[in-house]
Amino acid sequence: MKTTLILGGIAVLLIIFFVAQYNRLIRLNVAVSEAFSQIEVQLKRRSDLIPNLVETVKGYAKHEQSTFDAVISARAKATTATTVADVSAADGAMTQALRGLLAVAEAYPDLKASANFMSLQEELSTTENKVAFARQFYNDNVRLLNTAVKTIPTNFFAGFAKVTEREFYEVDDAANRNAPNVSF
Amino acid sequence: MATVSFRAAQSANKRKTFLLLGAMGALTWLVLLAIFTYLGTSSAAIVPFAVGLTLISVWGSYYGSDKLVLTMTGAKQIQESDNPKLFGLIQEVTIASGLPMPKVAIVQDSAPNAFATGRNPDHALIAFTTGILDAMDRDQLQGVIAHEMAHVGNRDTLVSAVAATTAGAIALISDMLMRIMWFGGGRRDRDNNGNPLMLVASLIVLILAPIAAMMLKSAISRKRESLADATAVAFTRNPAGLRSALEVLAADSTVVHQKSTAVAHIWIESPLDGSSVSKMFASHPPIQERIATLRAMESLN
Repeated sequence: MKTTLILGGIAVLLIIFFVAQYNRLIRLNVAVSEAFSQIEVQLKRRSDLIPNLVETVKGYAKHEQSTFDAVISARAKATTATTVADVSAADGAMTQALRGLLAVAEAYPDLKASANFMSLQEELSTTENKVAFARQFYNDNVRLLNTAVKTIPTNFFAGFAKVTEREFYEVDDAANRNAPNVSF
Repeated sequence: MATVSFRAAQSANKRKTFLLLGAMGALTWLVLLAIFTYLGTSSAAIVPFAVGLTLISVWGSYYGSDKLVLTMTGAKQIQESDNPKLFGLIQEVTIASGLPMPKVAIVQDSAPNAFATGRNPDHALIAFTTGILDAMDRDQLQGVIAHEMAHVGNRDTLVSAVAATTAGAIALISDMLMRIMWFGGGRRDRDNNGNPLMLVASLIVLILAPIAAMMLKSAISRKRESLADATAVAFTRNPAGLRSALEVLAADSTVVHQKSTAVAHIWIESPLDGSSVSKMFASHPPIQERIATLRAMESLN
């Protein structure tokens, strides 16, 4: 009688332990997917800003067609990307193109002073920050998940829960990778 | 100060909060022991009474903290259309932290300051004075918002409610005991308890306990501020923003008009004059110390 009780107790504890590990993996995995969709939401917001921004810049700088084309084509590419690697590549290309567009704007004082451009620029910089924070949040979640998949005891349950390591969101941006050289 | 990573600073401050809350528990236990030694178990009825009274007062204000603080500080809630730039900045931090969007309020006051309250992340409210919105640039304001959202994420309204309840109950118990002793009541089982040394010791405990509880409460508040600074860096990965925001606050000599000690702990910078409050009872760590810690985090990047 007593042994049955003890064995039963151990069995219950084991089940609770298994369920907790399994649920933790599933939770981490869902968190990564959620974080990724947040990146997509913010990238979508950024590409929605582009037509307006291009129109505004065009109004002052008609002869910069190649810059406009670069932005438009980067935008088109971004809409078809689905995998982490594709999305991040399109994201990087878009960031480059937008940087080119803003550099063009620098040469037109009237444009820089216009209220419309200024509010667009504020909206663009907050969206850029949101994209950056969404990436950071995603990568933090991937780091937690990947650690859990590789470490004891959660690694024993990863196969059973069908949870595998996820891909980090790497930004392929030369300007970010090379730290600027500052000399005094 | 040596270089510290925000992760190390976060866990160190969490650990210290636990220790301090543990000390608070030990102090409560000591007070109870002193009561039983001094008055005997027959007077123990005042304990649930005192705890109940503080629970009702503190937890009432904890539950309705978002609305109560609005009235106490004169903050007015605003909508996204009132200040899209501020809302954009807050949305950035909510994405970085994974926390839900809080309610936002403005205090009409030229002194730069900000605070966060609310019983849980879903009922959070963060408020800014008009002074802080005027004085700070984008990065600085982002640092301030991250600090406030860190309070929300770390559930500091709850932590300070727990600390306030314990400190309040201890103060009330010791106050009631003093009155009981004044009128000579209570000690019915005097003969069961003959050790005079124990009696003197319990009396000293009862006299000193409220002061010790206040000091512990302030120490917890200071640790939560340091923790919020570290967590803010975890959100933005930009210690320089919050650091330069604190420098603006340190350089500014104006303080928020309402100097009520009741809500002093919730602001990012203590509204109480630094010199009038001794360091042991301060609700915030010295601002220069916070700046130095953030500078140490910067040198890591």
